[in-house]
Amino acid sequence: MPKNWSATGLQSLRRGGSLRPRHPFQSLRPELWTQPLTPWQLQCIQELSSRRLQRMPVQYILGEWDFQGLSLKMAPPVFIPRPETEELVEWVLEEVAQSPCAMGTQDGPLILEVGCGSGAISLSLLSQLPQSRVIAVDKGEAAICLTEENAQRLRLLDRIRIVPLDVTLEGSWAHLLPWGPVDLVVSNPPYVFHQDMEQLAPEIRSYEDPLALDGGEEGMDIIIHILALARWILKDSGSIFLEVDPRHPELVGNWLQSQPDLSLDLVAMRRDFCGRPRFLHIQRSGPRRGCPADAWPGPQPARVPG
Amino acid sequence: MVDCGGLKRKFMATGPGPKLAELLHMSTSSFFGLLARLARLCTMPQGLGPQAKPVLSAPRVAVTMVQAAGKKDRPALPLLDESELEEQFVKGHGPGGQATNKTSNCVVLKHIPSGIVVKCHQTRSVDQNRKLARQILQEKVDIFYNGENSIVYKEKQEAEKKKQERKRRAKETLEKKKLLKELRELSKNVH
Repeated sequence: MPKNWSATGLQSLRRGGSLRPRHPFQSLRPELWTQPLTPWQLQCIQELSSRRLQRMPVQYILGEWDFQGLSLKMAPPVFIPRPETEELVEWVLEEVAQSPCAMGTQDGPLILEVGCGSGAISLSLLSQLPQSRVIAVDKGEAAICLTEENAQRLRLLDRIRIVPLDVTLEGSWAHLLPWGPVDLVVSNPPYVFHQDMEQLAPEIRSYEDPLALDGGEEGMDIIIHILALARWILKDSGSIFLEVDPRHPELVGNWLQSQPDLSLDLVAMRRDFCGRPRFLHIQRSGPRRGCPADAWPGPQPARVPG
Repeated sequence: MVDCGGLKRKFMATGPGPKLAELLHMSTSSFFGLLARLARLCTMPQGLGPQAKPVLSAPRVAVTMVQAAGKKDRPALPLLDESELEEQFVKGHGPGGQATNKTSNCVVLKHIPSGIVVKCHQTRSVDQNRKLARQILQEKVDIFYNGENSIVYKEKQEAEKKKQERKRRAKETLEKKKLLKELRELSKNVH
């Protein structure tokens, strides 16, 4: 092994690799530690090591990573799912389990994911909610392709619509109208404060798409657009689940109060496994505004007057 | 706005086992105590705005638990109380979320009353490792407090019994076959 490896750097690469078959590192099972490496294995290790020395994230080196028990293909520059985001999915699943009537009867919840990246959130929800359907959007071409590929690998293509879309563009919501109002909006939107971008680790700065991270001055740019989108495409009593920066619960709360006509309430906040405020549950409390009745092809839910 | 982190961790502590069975094993008073505590955690405090809706958590809690029941045939392991657990993740985690990309996902879980510590690094997912760590800890705590009466010990005994039974039967069958063969040999010789 190269001498310029840190003990933990080598550990993480070996660990990440050994947990998956079909990979040279598979042969690092304890039983085989006493056997000499084949020339092919040596070459692979050399190649992978040099990539790691260039600070390429392990997930890109291995070309795959796990999320909620699913194995997903990873490819730069598409954003690598973070462990915290698994808890976002857990929360959504809990909420869906607790309010089955609100989420549709036969066809599980209809979910919109904004900024799908590798497809992690959408695909894990689809695989754990067999009746659900997902509309996944992303403004990055590479993300659209990767989500499609992962959906195909997991045989979930029939229940997901993957749409290239930039939600910050005016009127973008119109492209989503054909699929009807959704029960849920889920997102891990770019939420890094712009001034924090340059402090990110080289692994992130040099390999992951900055557009998947940079949320503008207060990290709120994309979040605001997602919340504004609700007016057009979220059902009454529908929910939005977001992963955010720990400073956002207050900022989002304040912003929502300044936008009373959105009819959105910040209902709950949940912390991640490190105890940081990380997830928000926002709920819609009123009828959709300014939406022509004949825009929806399907049967309409009964409108509560007032 | 309410913090639902504690509520979620509470349910994770019970593991994927038959939650309904665990509920039934609880005394009535502790069961309703649990529901009361959960209701307090998630109910919306009054005066948070005209559009605030109270979140009824107690009945939903029961629904979630019933759904999970019947997953395993195993009798219920003793519940782990989240408040008695101390969890540790990799140090130097940094800002977390999008701003961090660490692949270390080891979970260290300690059961304070007994002092048992479990380390789990089995999967690439922190979430999975947390769940697994709790399952492993549940079993260890069971053994610690119940010794020979623990589920794990009993299961081992059952497995051992079955293994012995199978060996015995296999031996019997072998003997029968031997005997039959000998008899055939004998009858051949006669003719």
